[in-house]
Amino acid sequence: MFERIHARLERLAQFAVWVGGAALLAAAVMVTVDVFLRKLFSITMSGSDEISGYVFAAGTTWAYSYCLLHRANIRIDAVYNLLPRRLCGALDILGVLLLLTFNAVLARHAWTVFATSWQRDSVSITTLATPLWIPQMFWVTGLIVFELVLVFVAAYAVVRYFQRDDAAVNRIVGVPTVAEEVEEETRGVVEGA
Amino acid sequence: MALLTLVVLLVLVLAAVPVAAVLGVLSFVLDELFFRGRLTPAIGEFTWDKSKEFILVAVPMFILLGEIMLRAGIARRMYNAVVQWLSWLPGGLMHANIGSCAIFAASSGSSVATAATVGTVAYPEIERRGYNERLFLGSLAAGGTLGILIPPSINLILYGLITNSSVPELYLAGIIPGLILSSLFMAAIITGCMLRRGWGGTPVETSWGARIRTLPDLLPPILLFAVVVGSIYAGVATPTEAASVGVCFALCLSVWTRTLDWTMLKAAFEGTMRTTAMIMLIVLAAIFLNFVLGFLGVTQALIRFVSELGLTPVQTMLLLVVFYLILGMFMETLSMMLTTVPVVFPIVVQLGYDPVWFGIMITVLMEAALITPPIGVNLYVVQGIRMRGGHFNDVAYGALPFVVSMMVMVGLLLAYEDLALWLPTLVYR
Repeated sequence: MFERIHARLERLAQFAVWVGGAALLAAAVMVTVDVFLRKLFSITMSGSDEISGYVFAAGTTWAYSYCLLHRANIRIDAVYNLLPRRLCGALDILGVLLLLTFNAVLARHAWTVFATSWQRDSVSITTLATPLWIPQMFWVTGLIVFELVLVFVAAYAVVRYFQRDDAAVNRIVGVPTVAEEVEEETRGVVEGA
Repeated sequence: MALLTLVVLLVLVLAAVPVAAVLGVLSFVLDELFFRGRLTPAIGEFTWDKSKEFILVAVPMFILLGEIMLRAGIARRMYNAVVQWLSWLPGGLMHANIGSCAIFAASSGSSVATAATVGTVAYPEIERRGYNERLFLGSLAAGGTLGILIPPSINLILYGLITNSSVPELYLAGIIPGLILSSLFMAAIITGCMLRRGWGGTPVETSWGARIRTLPDLLPPILLFAVVVGSIYAGVATPTEAASVGVCFALCLSVWTRTLDWTMLKAAFEGTMRTTAMIMLIVLAAIFLNFVLGFLGVTQALIRFVSELGLTPVQTMLLLVVFYLILGMFMETLSMMLTTVPVVFPIVVQLGYDPVWFGIMITVLMEAALITPPIGVNLYVVQGIRMRGGHFNDVAYGALPFVVSMMVMVGLLLAYEDLALWLPTLVYR
């Protein structure tokens, strides 16, 4: 059951980063058009900077889950690499629990920001006058999804840990090997082969 | 109490807890202990304000730009072009390693991807031309570090953000030291090959005709550099706008090289968002911790402590250099910068050093951290591309001459601050 949920979550996170990446690309095009119009024709099309900021904020929180599922969080493994696997597994779980705690606090207060904007109908102090709850909704749901993924990953890792399946714990929350990391960062690069 | 916090922080970091979680949880605990939790609720508003800030949008844009360039299929041809231009020097292809890593890293946000891409293209030449393997591998690892110094650099954006320094000034300041450091790397290779005849391998056949013919292959990265960096200094665009224009340029380039399709874009998106998330989680946690530390008056206490030591500014700076060199052996570079700069920066400014100059100084020290064992990301990456295998020590020893080059660079920066400050002063001050 755990495997299936894990795979589903991975698909969901992957889809989220595709959308986030595409939105970022769209924002880049929009900002570029803005720059050219401003310089060549002195037309100011305000708002592209504001929108790209929202895309960035929301896209990032949705990417946190992807980052976690791909074990890409930055960890200092100088000592870790010297330890026996069993202990590494325990540290992996400690790490994910602390991340879970941090994000829980962050998500809770982020929710307050969103709820306040919603109740007060706050708008941005710009010509766009964006109702702030809209971008904040995408932003805060990203954090909430991240928290749910964290809870799942922690539970999954703990169960496997007590089944003494250390290899599985490493696959779920461990520090990836160099080969895995290089593979991850150069995926789809033809010349690498 | 402060000592206890520091110990807990160190233990958690060494226990391989994700750095972002350590910083975040630490700021909550400090807040709970000293302010009864009054600061923590601000993290919502705080994070929202920071994460939509337009200057920070440059970070994912530059990463996206690099991811597209990486997949636009220009690395091999660019490497061969650089080979034509640089391999007449004693040490042959190793100069091309430095050169193409520098060019490639300038456009790509990931030093891992840079070293891996150029590395896989270059690696087979070690055997084919009989190079000294250690030095060759070292040149790949060292070349990849140039990307964080030569603009556009993501590290310099983050430094600018946490110290409120101007990113365009930092970019200008990085150019001359970047060129000098590249030359120092090459000098290290030449010295090595002069001392040991066998290290340089068999020379590559080059001719002026071939050089001219390869020029078009060098054009994409050079044009990209001109578009991105040029538009910042022409006052046409902010760093974020320049990065966006660069993304569009890279997209056009990938259409030109016929590498643009859905699979490639999806891979680029995944790479971009993964790296962005990885960086931003730490950045936001570090900024929040900095905010809490500000209320605690830690900085003032440190400044007082340093002034009571009675050292001259140069002595203090040397102490900092040693501190960063040691820390860099064990710590991942980005988290090293984000956790230490908020505390160290006020001291440095107090001593009378220029913020922009220090940004360049710390970047060179971060480059050293990338190639000093036991933990040096670039060493691992280069080790990772060795198809025939071999001991990790080969790479570490091979990188050593380049660490020496970096130390010379640190010395030069200390002796002549203008190496970094001349260009920004000329343009902005």
